Amino acid sequence: MTLTIHLTLNGAPAVFEVEPEERLVHTLRERAGLTGTKLGCGIGECGACSVLLDGKLVPSCLVLSAQADGHEVTTIEGLSQKGLNDLQRAFVEEGAVQCGYCTPGMIMAGEAVLRRYQRPTTQQIRAGIAGNLCRCTGYAKIVSAIRKTARRRAHRRSGR
Amino acid sequence: MQKAPSVVGARVKRFDAEDKVAGRTLYPSDKTVPGMLWVEVVRAAHPHARILSIDIEPALQVPGVVRVLTHRDVPGENAFGIQIQDMPVLCHDRVRYLGDAVALVGAETRAAAREAAQKVRVEYEVLEPVTDPELAMLPGAVALHPKGNILHEGHFNKGDVEAGFGRCAVVIENTYQVPMIDHAFLETEAGIAYYDENGRLTVDACGQYIYRDQTQIARALGLPLHQVRVMSPIVGGAFGGKDEVTVQIHLALMTFHTRRPCRMVATREESLISHTKRHPVTMSYKTGADRKGNLICVQARFVADTGAYASLGGPVLNVMMEHAAGPYRVPNVKVDGYAVYTNNGFSGAFRGFGCTQACVGMESQMDLMAEALRMDPLKFREQNVLVKGDRAGLDYPMTCEVGALRTVRSARRGALYRSRRRKAPARALSPSLAPFVRRGVGVATQMQGLGLGIGIPDYAEVGLDLRPDGTVVLRAGTNEIGQGAYTAYLQILSGCLGVPLERLSIIGADTARTPDSGTTTASRTIFAVGKAVELAAEKLERVLGERAERVFGWAPGPAKLRGEQLEGTGGRRPLRELLGEETLSVQAVFHVPVAEREMGDGLPHRFYSFGTHVAEVEVNTLTGEIAVTSVEAHLDGGKVISRAGFEGQSEGGIAQGIGYALMEEVRLEKGRFLTTNFHTYVIPTSLDVPEWVRTIPVEVREPEGPFGAKGISETAMVGVTPAVLNAIADAVGVRFFRLPVRAEDVLAALREKKS
Repeated sequence: MTLTIHLTLNGAPAVFEVEPEERLVHTLRERAGLTGTKLGCGIGECGACSVLLDGKLVPSCLVLSAQADGHEVTTIEGLSQKGLNDLQRAFVEEGAVQCGYCTPGMIMAGEAVLRRYQRPTTQQIRAGIAGNLCRCTGYAKIVSAIRKTARRRAHRRSGR
Repeated sequence: MQKAPSVVGARVKRFDAEDKVAGRTLYPSDKTVPGMLWVEVVRAAHPHARILSIDIEPALQVPGVVRVLTHRDVPGENAFGIQIQDMPVLCHDRVRYLGDAVALVGAETRAAAREAAQKVRVEYEVLEPVTDPELAMLPGAVALHPKGNILHEGHFNKGDVEAGFGRCAVVIENTYQVPMIDHAFLETEAGIAYYDENGRLTVDACGQYIYRDQTQIARALGLPLHQVRVMSPIVGGAFGGKDEVTVQIHLALMTFHTRRPCRMVATREESLISHTKRHPVTMSYKTGADRKGNLICVQARFVADTGAYASLGGPVLNVMMEHAAGPYRVPNVKVDGYAVYTNNGFSGAFRGFGCTQACVGMESQMDLMAEALRMDPLKFREQNVLVKGDRAGLDYPMTCEVGALRTVRSARRGALYRSRRRKAPARALSPSLAPFVRRGVGVATQMQGLGLGIGIPDYAEVGLDLRPDGTVVLRAGTNEIGQGAYTAYLQILSGCLGVPLERLSIIGADTARTPDSGTTTASRTIFAVGKAVELAAEKLERVLGERAERVFGWAPGPAKLRGEQLEGTGGRRPLRELLGEETLSVQAVFHVPVAEREMGDGLPHRFYSFGTHVAEVEVNTLTGEIAVTSVEAHLDGGKVISRAGFEGQSEGGIAQGIGYALMEEVRLEKGRFLTTNFHTYVIPTSLDVPEWVRTIPVEVREPEGPFGAKGISETAMVGVTPAVLNAIADAVGVRFFRLPVRAEDVLAALREKKS
């Protein structure tokens, strides 16, 4: 038995036939071919599979695909549909990427921090990405990249 | 040595960063091939058991299952291992740890493969696991391998420690225990296999040395090397944990038997059980110094639990012994080491490679001796640290450039060390807590052998393809495991040729297209491969000059690339006039110079990196919690090639060093893993690393390296752990001899101290 689910995936409607016990990470990676979302642990501990579900950060390994039916899912691919977004660019500029396997999830977590706080403190940034493990960078340049993007967005907002 | 052009040492964008942030990069776990089978491994049900029978029939009944393979299906040698091939591809008569592979299932879907894997019936005679290396060494212990349980031992003597201790004003003796830890790379072991367009059995998987993987696959499958192709350009982290073969032979074997493309992706649980770990070691140290603060004696005994199979256990022990006495001048040294087989997982390469463990012991001893002598810890180190020409611990001359002293002096001048007398916490969580929080500052100095050492072939070959438009492709066989070496190679190439980075690109790690650049390990790639890049660039300019002499009639001399032009003794001409539509290829190889005398496999090294770490901690005496609040890293990796990459290695090393000191431990009970995923194997998060980290390059140029560069990836981590331990001791006056140091350990120790 399979279920039919309807998502708004990265801004466009998408339909999938999924297994009842299937997790969203699987649907994204194996059915939609969106391999930017990574799988690191499968139990919601590492954050590599983080996506935005209706704008909220979730580990997609702990979301049943059926739960996402009718909802809006944004993956890393959805952030760069018109070229890299400002946060992605900041990751490149700051050297926040090493092996890069945590990077998509980390950027989604950073995006969630930036949507939650207009001017996040360093502590708010650190806490906001605490569910995302990185083994390469020691997090310092990741925090800098998010902080830099926060500053740029604040600047843009005030300029308007 | 030429002066480095500005691109060398610059903060440049990584060549792979844009694809990685966009989620476009395909990692081994992302790759698929049409028509592929999923492969699952049936692993041992017991850490130690005899296999009585294997029945694959029930598994074959599962719909979707295409093939089930056992030891009978291994056409070549059913054994692998980097140094000693003592590990079965698929176990035949015995299993020695829970990660041992007994059978492989190939099925149309992963679900079918998993279901079938559960249905392979293996009958075992369960044996008592061997779990204590000290007992396993004794005569009469149950032997896990034909030659007994001692995989490797080493014994070194310099001077006379017995007489030496008699001359010491202080003698400190302690036993340290460091745990087994996991690399916890974010991407688990994964890859695909298929037959390529030339009929070669191709494995595109994670790894750290494609040419050795090729050898290991070919040996197990009984194939000539040229029929096996290995690719592994971009890997989601490794740290030594993907140095040994993981999925490669299993993938190749299933594709070989089914002629179908295959895919494997390990679960985190499987990954934590199956791949190598950092050796847990019991280290007994006795060290002494005279009244003036001169180190007189270092005596060390290491018992390293190497687990079920050899992998690199022998060389890891050698590096541990090589670095037992740290970066110091010590006239009397006695070191004894044992790497012992047990049924506790299996251990091998991991960032620092044995040096990591020894440094915890030796740098704790250094602080204890300094304290007994009432000397400043860094002053004590400064007085004893090796300089070029000195004889190192195991009695061989240091012939490379030695920056140890400069890292110590740099640390002494640093803001963090100068603030060490201030005991009040700077960043306690709340003001009301402040009276209960103690601040401490600790240091550690370290050296780390670079490359594979004498006796183990250590060379790097690279290729350059010059296109008629003046763009250049570098072909290098090492893997991009996150460390940023490809970017550094391109900076070196740009620096040598004067060609801007945007006109350079790289093809990495494919035995069909890239030469053998050696391993992606041992802090060696920028040094060894980078040097080969430099040699190849020189060769390209020489060959261009020779051609220009022949074709244009220019006077002899090298020719330089200038955009789409060639510039040489005869002026400037369009490159196309020389090459037409041809691609000009050159290759060059660099053999890493070795020490004068071999003292064991890979022992000693000729080149070393050096570092002094300063760590600040705040210890909450009510809860025992330790916060590492700041770290300064003073690192001599020679000339820095890639500034952002250098800092990245340092910052990541700091996090891993903190994990080793305070959090991480692979826990086993009778050979069974209690830490099975990231909920029980806990690694540092963004909240566990200091907000304030500073990396200070101490650039002592090594003339043998490209532009004077060495490597830094291991030095960046190794000193952090003992610096944190020393900072804890400084904060609360309690010293810990067993890692990791957890809040409950601190509380218990503080209570004991009070009573």
